[in-house]
Amino acid sequence: MIDLENVDVAFDDFTAVANVDLGIDDGEFVTVVGPSGCGKTTLLRAIGGLQEPTAGRVTIDDRAPSVAQEVGDIGFVFQQHTLLPWKSALENVVFLRKMADKPPDREGAHALLETMGLDGFEDARPAALSGGMKQRVAIARAIHLGADVLLMDEPFGELDEITRDELGVEIRSLWRRERKTIVFVTHSVPEAVFLGDRCVVMRDQPGRIEATFDIDLPGPRDTESLGSQAFQEQVAAVRQTLHESYD
Amino acid sequence: MTERITVTGSGAVYPASALCAGVALWWALTELGDIPPFLLPAPDAVVARLAGNPELYLVNALYTLEKVVYGGAIGIGAGIALAAFVAYVPWFRRAVYPYLVTVRVLPKLAIAPLLLIYLGTGMTTAIVFVALITFFPLVLNTAAGLDRTPTAHHYLLRSVDAGPIERILYVDVPYAIPDIFAGLKQSVTLAVVGAVVAEWVVADNGLGFLILMGSENVRPDVMLAALVVLLLVGLALYGIVVLVQRRVHERLGLEVLD
Ligand SMILES: Nc1ncnc2c1ncn2[C@@H]1O[C@H](COP(=O)(O)OP(=O)(O)OP(=O)(O)O)[C@@H](O)[C@H]1O
Ligand SMILES: [Mg+2]
Repeated sequence: MIDLENVDVAFDDFTAVANVDLGIDDGEFVTVVGPSGCGKTTLLRAIGGLQEPTAGRVTIDDRAPSVAQEVGDIGFVFQQHTLLPWKSALENVVFLRKMADKPPDREGAHALLETMGLDGFEDARPAALSGGMKQRVAIARAIHLGADVLLMDEPFGELDEITRDELGVEIRSLWRRERKTIVFVTHSVPEAVFLGDRCVVMRDQPGRIEATFDIDLPGPRDTESLGSQAFQEQVAAVRQTLHESYD
Repeated sequence: MTERITVTGSGAVYPASALCAGVALWWALTELGDIPPFLLPAPDAVVARLAGNPELYLVNALYTLEKVVYGGAIGIGAGIALAAFVAYVPWFRRAVYPYLVTVRVLPKLAIAPLLLIYLGTGMTTAIVFVALITFFPLVLNTAAGLDRTPTAHHYLLRSVDAGPIERILYVDVPYAIPDIFAGLKQSVTLAVVGAVVAEWVVADNGLGFLILMGSENVRPDVMLAALVVLLLVGLALYGIVVLVQRRVHERLGLEVLD
């Protein structure tokens, strides 16, 4: 259970995130949408213990995020892929787990890269991978860490639409299999609706939560549900809130 | 990483041709020009001088090399150590870094006579001088390199509670490698310069001393022969650094820049 109580994050005299109250249950998939610069990344960092709130409190299972960090329970996918340029794709995936002092699992890393559509590229260095491939390696790295909480900051930002959809389905099924708690930041409304059980809409200046939508789509989510009536309606509703907050 | 156009093997044809042309020009000048041999000896005279007494040049090259190696090792070691302090101890950085940058404009050669007063005319002075002169490029380059890691990587390591040692070893140092080698290349070149200057000021041996003696006795052939050996020593040292850099960069998959 992730709990944010009245969280403010200010940089000098600039308030990036104001008054955020948010509870996320274990195993929940929450997406966050909002305009660029509204504080999504800052909020995600606050949840993951990388950004100390200037007011309010963040807890993960009733303890400070740093406790979750210590046991390797927070898997970050950053907006920039942050792969080490001198390590191969596989070594990059394995590296984070090693840094978290968890037992190595090269086979698992191999299999994961394969499901991410990267078989044959295990030994390639980041410079030899496309932007989208690098992001997939970064996602694989976070998953391979084996954390209960995954914090993803626009991980599909550099991907084309087809890959985005496919990876979306992949992340959903991973989440169903392993019951991770996922907070997923995006600026794409359809993506937020497709992925999340709950969609948090943020507005800017200062960054705060404008509305929260419970996403209820009948049937399993696959590429077909992207065309369904229910999906379109949810997207329209979220989009409208986003635009209203913008005026 | 940075990408550069690398000169391929066949590219060596051009510098080799230029060298031949240079030597030919020199030879033509002594042969056709009106320059007396005691001012500018012909290339073959210099070669003859070298071949006539190889031990003299070899022994003195070893003396010079000794100063370069000891002084260089101390300077490089101290430079890297200080760079680590600059990079990781914030108050130290604030106090010292501005001076390190400022001192760059000071010609370090000017310090040699001062060392003479403090340390005397022995080997110590020469070694300390070489150490001093190799030290600066290493501190500045290494410190800049250790700063190069993108902040996001630090976030990544913090997110799994990895400690500073792990961060430095696995992330900061590899990021700094190209800068460390850039510093090393400057340092080895300066080390040879430093050794020669030290030999002018304090020593009674080494290639620098040989050049000085040649000058006092108006023996340009001796001086030129010593210069050629000096050039070879410098090239060899530089070449070693480049070779090691190649190996390390290959291991890390970085572009090799020279
Ligand atoms: N370290 C910092 N120091 C000062 N201001 C910052 C810092 N980090 C973020 N900000 C400011 O906080 C605001 C929110 O930034 P943040 O990166 O959280 O936005 P975002 O919603 O993730 O944007 P994007 O969608 O473009 O990634 C921005 O105005 C930014 O300039
Ligand atoms: Mg962001």
